[in-house]
Amino acid sequence: MTYFLPCLYAFGASYAFAIVFNIKKNKLLFSALGGFVGQLTFALFQLIIGNDIILSMLAAIAISLYAEIMARATSSPTTIYLAIALIPLVPGGGMYYTMLYFINGDADLGLSTGIHTLLISGAVAVGIILVSSSVMLTRKIMIRRKLAVRKQFKQDKNEPLS
Amino acid sequence: MTISQLSHIAMEMGLILLSNGAETYRVEESMHRICIALGAREAEIFCVPTTIIISITMDDIETLTLTRRIHTRVTDLTKVDELNHLSRQICYEAISYDDLLSEIKRINNAPAYPYLLQVLAFAFIAQMYTLFFGGNFLDSCIGFIIGIGTKLLMDVMIRLETNIFFINMVGGFIAATVAVIASGLGLTTHMNTIIIGSIMTLVPGLVITNAIRDIIAGDYLAGLTKGIEALLIAAAIAAGVAVPLSLLRPFWGG
Repeated sequence: MTYFLPCLYAFGASYAFAIVFNIKKNKLLFSALGGFVGQLTFALFQLIIGNDIILSMLAAIAISLYAEIMARATSSPTTIYLAIALIPLVPGGGMYYTMLYFINGDADLGLSTGIHTLLISGAVAVGIILVSSSVMLTRKIMIRRKLAVRKQFKQDKNEPLS
Repeated sequence: MTISQLSHIAMEMGLILLSNGAETYRVEESMHRICIALGAREAEIFCVPTTIIISITMDDIETLTLTRRIHTRVTDLTKVDELNHLSRQICYEAISYDDLLSEIKRINNAPAYPYLLQVLAFAFIAQMYTLFFGGNFLDSCIGFIIGIGTKLLMDVMIRLETNIFFINMVGGFIAATVAVIASGLGLTTHMNTIIIGSIMTLVPGLVITNAIRDIIAGDYLAGLTKGIEALLIAAAIAAGVAVPLSLLRPFWGG
């Protein structure tokens, strides 16, 4: 339950964010589900992996996969699902503690927390880049293959005539 | 369709897309597709987060170039979604100029969620994130109050066209001040949790997403601009939170 409750909170927050971003009524639930998926991945892999930088990357991969699939299924921009699901992964806590250590005069602790926060945001970005680039690549390959098939089809059609 | 009508349609759609939170590459791609589908021979579009430049060639001699500057940007993903849909529709079927114009006007003037619901949603975000970071129910209620206050003040400032960094700084300031006062009155012992939960409402999620996606798509100029915007917003929030934490130090005994 301690692992599952944050997922529910992330879902609630994402649902409210979807309203603030003014997403259409029939897509509210699906876009909020993205935040849930990200936290669920985070919580599940937490049982195996202890490093929260890698965990953030895995969660980012999960939400971008979800966003790409949902975008294809409902034929709407990926951003609608991705932007909402991304927010629970943003290291707000790290940002705050970095600032707190600095104003407390603890520069060493502040620097190490700051670098950790930066690494987490970098990991989230890498996760999104990995998935989006692979999706773009597969789409290009599929389009090329479709064109090749069409060309072959035309040739086959024309051959008996000529 | 004449060249001026075509440029008007493309420019209106691009403007609404860009000012409501679409990625730069999406704006360029949809404008290009619309121009070609509506009968332009060549169309070149250059788009950064604040400007759109479009240059259309219709016949051999006639070339038209238009520039538009964007001043206010809001987030309304319904408009992005519907315009994306409309631009696809234009590529598949012929739609007359008047129909297109009225359709764009309908999308642009579509009502958003009621204001009260938006305020409550904003406050609910703060409440949920306070719970998310490990606060108890009383902490989350303080987060809810902070959320309402932040949203109302931010909207007043947006109406006065304050710059976005100052708005976020004030948001962080309110969150930290209320949390410090609540902690000083002995209502809560989780001051840090409340502040983190409340500033998550200000996190620029859409800007970060668009920055990453623009850089992947090869629009480095737009991607870098948005990335720096996100970094500066984060710095502004931190600066806003730092002020009450430093000044009201006797209250929370840090």
